[in-house]
Formats: sequence, C-alpha cells, structure tokens
Amino acid sequence: MAAVDVVVSGVGVAVSGIAGPDDLLRRTPAGAQGDDPARRLTGKGLRYKDRATRLALCAGRDALADAGLLNDPGLTVPSETVGVVVSSNYGNVDTICDTVSTIAAETYVGLSPMALPATASNVIASWLAIWFRLRGANLTMCNGPTSGLDAVNWGRLLVLAGRVDRVLVVGVEPANAPVRHLVSGGRSNGDDDLRLFDGAAALLLESAAAARDRGVEALAELGPYARKADQPAAVASIRRTDPRPVDMWFGAGAGGPAGMTEQTSYDLTAYHGHCSGALGVLQCVAGTAWLSGHDRGAVLASADGDGSDAAAALLLTAGTRPGPAAGDRR
Amino acid sequence: MTGVAITGLGVVTCHGSGTRALWDAMMAAPVTDPGPVPDPYANMDVPVVQGVPDAHLPAESQALARTSRLALTAVDEALADAGLPPGGAATARSRIGLALGTCMGDAGLHEQWRADGGKPVARFTSALGVASEIADRLGPVSVATTISNACAAGGFALGAAADLVRSGEADVVLAVGADAYSRVMLACFNRMGAVDPVRCRPFDLHRRGTSFGEAAGALVVESAEHARARGATVHAVLEGSGWTCDAYHLTAPEPEGTQIIRAMRAALDATGTDGDRIGCVLPHGTGTQLNDVVESRALNEVLGADVPLYSLKALIGHTGGAAASVAAVAAALILRHRTVPPNVPIAQQDPECRVWLPQGLTTPLGSDRIMVNGYAFGGNNVSLVLAGAGG
Repeated sequence: MAAVDVVVSGVGVAVSGIAGPDDLLRRTPAGAQGDDPARRLTGKGLRYKDRATRLALCAGRDALADAGLLNDPGLTVPSETVGVVVSSNYGNVDTICDTVSTIAAETYVGLSPMALPATASNVIASWLAIWFRLRGANLTMCNGPTSGLDAVNWGRLLVLAGRVDRVLVVGVEPANAPVRHLVSGGRSNGDDDLRLFDGAAALLLESAAAARDRGVEALAELGPYARKADQPAAVASIRRTDPRPVDMWFGAGAGGPAGMTEQTSYDLTAYHGHCSGALGVLQCVAGTAWLSGHDRGAVLASADGDGSDAAAALLLTAGTRPGPAAGDRR
Repeated sequence: MTGVAITGLGVVTCHGSGTRALWDAMMAAPVTDPGPVPDPYANMDVPVVQGVPDAHLPAESQALARTSRLALTAVDEALADAGLPPGGAATARSRIGLALGTCMGDAGLHEQWRADGGKPVARFTSALGVASEIADRLGPVSVATTISNACAAGGFALGAAADLVRSGEADVVLAVGADAYSRVMLACFNRMGAVDPVRCRPFDLHRRGTSFGEAAGALVVESAEHARARGATVHAVLEGSGWTCDAYHLTAPEPEGTQIIRAMRAALDATGTDGDRIGCVLPHGTGTQLNDVVESRALNEVLGADVPLYSLKALIGHTGGAAASVAAVAAALILRHRTVPPNVPIAQQDPECRVWLPQGLTTPLGSDRIMVNGYAFGGNNVSLVLAGAGG
C-alpha cells in the first residue's frame, strides 16, 4: 500500500449537554438535563430510525460540515470518494429486542414492514450513506472495547488502499433499556447503577493530499496505531514507533504513557459513562479538539479493553499548518 | 494492487462439512428443499431454512452458540488445510489476524433468551462473540475485526483480510463468513413477503423471494512471499476487490446498478486485466425480484452475456453474512478443478435475466479468473476476483 499521510479534517459530536467537540475538554459529565442531540435533525425521513442511527446522523453531519464537505444540497466532492466506517457494539439491539418480543406476542404479522430494515446489522452506516449520499466503501464494525480505535484505523486503511479519498468514521452507542439489560447481564434495574454513554462522535479522515487539494486545514494527523493483548503492550508499541513526548492522554488504567499527571490524563468514560464501541472515536474527537488549541503536540488515545483480552492505542499529532488557504473555521 | 495468496479453505453448508462435501454437492446439483426450523417461536408463514444438520458439526463444539459452532467448523478445516494448526510451530511464527463477516452473529442466543423470558449470561454476546470464539482457538492475534455488513459481510471480510496483509498489519489473516438461522431475520423477510416458499430459485421466472441457509466459509490468506517461505500450497490468488455503496435505499438495490458496476470494475482494475479474462461468475443472485434483474444487467454491461454463472444460492440457500465467503471457497474449488459445475436446475429462466446458467452439464473453465459478487441491505456492494494459483 502507498505511504499516505492521513489527517483529520472534520469532527462532530452528538452528546447531551455537549455543544461541540471543544466542549468535550471541559471535564464535565454529559448533561442529563441537556437537549437531546438526536432532535437536532428533523424531517419526515427520520421516522422509523433507531436512536443510534439518529445520533450518528447528527454527529456525522457536523463532521462533514466541519470538513467543508457539505453543500446545500449534496457534497462538495464526488460522492464516490467518501467512505463510511461505523463502530457500534450495541447499535440496533433495541430494534432486534423489540422485534423478538413482537414475534413472540403477535407472530411476524405484528411487525411493521417499515421498521424491518432497521434490523440489519449495518443499518447505521447505511443510513449515513443514504442521508449524505456517500458512495465509497461502507463498513460496520463490532469489535468490542477496541472497536472505536479499530474503526479509525480502518478508515485510514481504506484511504491507504486507495478505495476512497476520505472516510466518515462514526462511533455510536445508544443507552436504552435493551442495551442496559444486555450490558448488565439482566441485573440492571434501570437506575443509575450502570452509566452508559448515549451519543455519537464522528471524524472525517482524509488523505493529506486530498485535504490540501481542497485547501482545507488538517486539524490533526493520524500517527501509529497498535492493537495488542493489553494496554501496556499497545502503548509501548506506539512509543517505539513514535517516541515523541505525549502531551495529553485520553485513556485510563495501567500502562498509559509515562509521566502523565491528572492534568494531562483524561478518562472520558469517567464523565460520559461506559462508551463501548464509541470510545475510540470520541477520544479522537476530543484529542483533535485539544490539538486544535495548540500549535503542536501529540495526543495518545487508548482503550484498555475493559477486562477483555485486547487493547488498542493510537497517536494523533498537531495538524499541519498550511498557508492562507487554510481559513479560520473554528 | 498486489494479489494475496489463499492457502487454506474450510466450509460447512447444509450439504455437509468440508470442501469435499461442497464440491460433491456442486457437481451433483441436487434440488434441495429447505426444512422446518427447530424453533417453537418461529411464528411465521414460511418457517424453513436449509439448515446444517448437527451430524455435520463436531460433537465437542455442542456447547457453543450456533454461528460460532459453524464458524469454528470451517476455521478448523481451513487452518489444517493451510498447515497452520493452532499451537503449531508455523502458527506461532506468524502474526495471525482475523477478519470475520457476519450478519447476525450469535443473535440466536438473544432471541432465545428474550422469547423464553430468561436473562442473558453475564458476558454480553453479539457478533463479536463469534470472533472471540475463533480468536480463542487461534491464540494471540495481531488483528481481530468483525465486519457486520449484513449479507455481504463475508465478502468484505475477505477483501479486508487482503488489505491487512498488504498493509503489513498481519502475516496471515483468517477470513471467515458465518451465519446461522435467525428468527428475526427470517420473520422480517416473511413480513416483507420476500421468502420463497419453494426454495431459493435465483434467476427463475417464478422466483418469489429468497430462502435462507446456514453456513460458514473460511479462507487463509497471506502474501505470496510468506506462503513461499513457509512452503505452503497456494490454492488461488485474490487479485482484487471492489467496494462501493449505492447510498440509495436501505433494502432495494439502485435500479441502474451504477454502484455494483463500479464495484465489479474496481475489482477488475485491481487485477490489471479486463472482463474478457473472467471465466465464471458466482453472482450474489438471491432470488429476490429486483436483485437478480439488476445484477444480470450489470453483468451484461461489464462482462457481456457469455460468461457462465454458477448460482451457488440455488444449492445452499442464502447464507447471509457467510454467502460471499462460501462463494469464494466454491470459486477456489472451481479454479482447482478448472470446471464450472452444473447449476441446480430452474424451471424457466427469467427473460429479464439474460445470463448464462449452464444446467445439466459441466462447463470447462475458459479462463482462470472468477468473479464473486456480494450485496447487502444498505446498498453495500463487494466484488472479488480470484485467480488460479498459476496467476
């Protein structure tokens, strides 16, 4: 595969009480009293879409707009050049559970034909493609705790393989009764004994050349990624490949980069709950927001696997600073 | 794009376990009707699939959920075929990755829990649970990824496996597609009136939808250099894969087939050859009205109407996320035998589907490149080109 620099050229987030990516850095819990981000999109086309899809559409739209790719209507680039990667472990579990219950109670006749397509495992990525007319490669991942960072790396691989010039990467998890039931092993009573992330985060990844051709500022550059048996091994692998000092670590647990303090470490799950497949993308959105406030630097994101047998880590570095064409979008 | 070597094959379908069983069934081309599903909650009009009999699955895997059980059956064969047994010296020396494609994963567990009123076990099990079971068998893996691209998932997993090898993320990648009976999937297709009560009859004028089957397919892929260095036998080469998305409708294909044509051409472009060098096509061909017509027209445009099609779903049913994986295994077998088996007979070919479906006789493989197509809800399209080991 060609050696191609891949950059972040747009970010978006849909979390209650979080106004935008910069807000993720405030170290405040997602606001239960905040507006439901899923209400940011309106229109008849949203009927029969599950919560994860609505959240993903909101975050995806913001990332595409941030990257300067949204026209009114359509895109500023050929639709075939834009791919989609979605990471979600619980995505449409609510729809599946409702469907099973309906079959048991009313037979298959009780099912709504309009809702049936939402039982497909790739419904979120499909709606992102349909809604924004993204005709490049389209992938849905369900990789457990590392899924978000895996998805970011898969976005990069799609660009490196020459399949697309840019990729919308979305991490999303809905918090609702079926998910709570499954995550807790049936023990959750629906109260606050289990804090689940309810939201979506989105990155627009692009080859550096494609971003330059569009005259768009790179907000951050993707550095090395590693997936190992545990977090210490994943982080060590990154440090071997790119030993530059880490200025900010988005992660938690043992084996993070050396020398991190409370100020330079940020565990997003402490504020936003169990993020599952959304975590890695949310970390990269927060990391990009952090980098955009600094001239240069490096941010490490890591998912320690939450007790499972894999961990992933990825480095983001300060975006290139092109000349006058970059504009001032922030 | 550099091709990657396929050095191991494994498969299980309603016709049995193993590549020999699949090839024998392909050559015999029996008309096989689906049977009733063993599910007391299958409250639907057409509760039938082409299931895999338990007798074809290893007894020691009985405790596993069904999709995991199917997957591991195919995986064990593929690893042995590749000379990479779990725990073996060659396996330990290689950085092994896993790319799994599945539509429903082990959703059967959730369906059972929910209908029975039981509670899930402490460990959440989903599509990713199948990958966990395979990874447990493999030992330490460099990459383990589950691609949930509905009914094209297995094709994307094979393409992704090749990308992982080319990018250097792994030396060897096990590409797997697996799906078992799912009450949700079958009920939804029933509700949409898209289940053929007779059997899966792609390209038949009288087809009335699809008919599902259970299956798993597994392929070991690695670079030609890596295969050579460890003395592995190369069964076929994956020369190219094209991935596109209709971005048109969640369930219906885009009527002009623009993006499935683009996927086929992208796969061909990667081979550095043209459509004239394709000796056979294993189409997606599900038996749904629109899919078969749109795919036929697209094939006519890209390859003409003279390429023999081998319509695998007529033999084993629509096996969901396993479909393109099993088709790739079948393609490798066709390349090995240089013979296109006879298609399962259909009563009357749809005149809207002007494709060549040889029936009742074998057809010599005219060129040693085969195209495999996989399509899915959401307009996810993948085309693969496999070539004989001679290149």
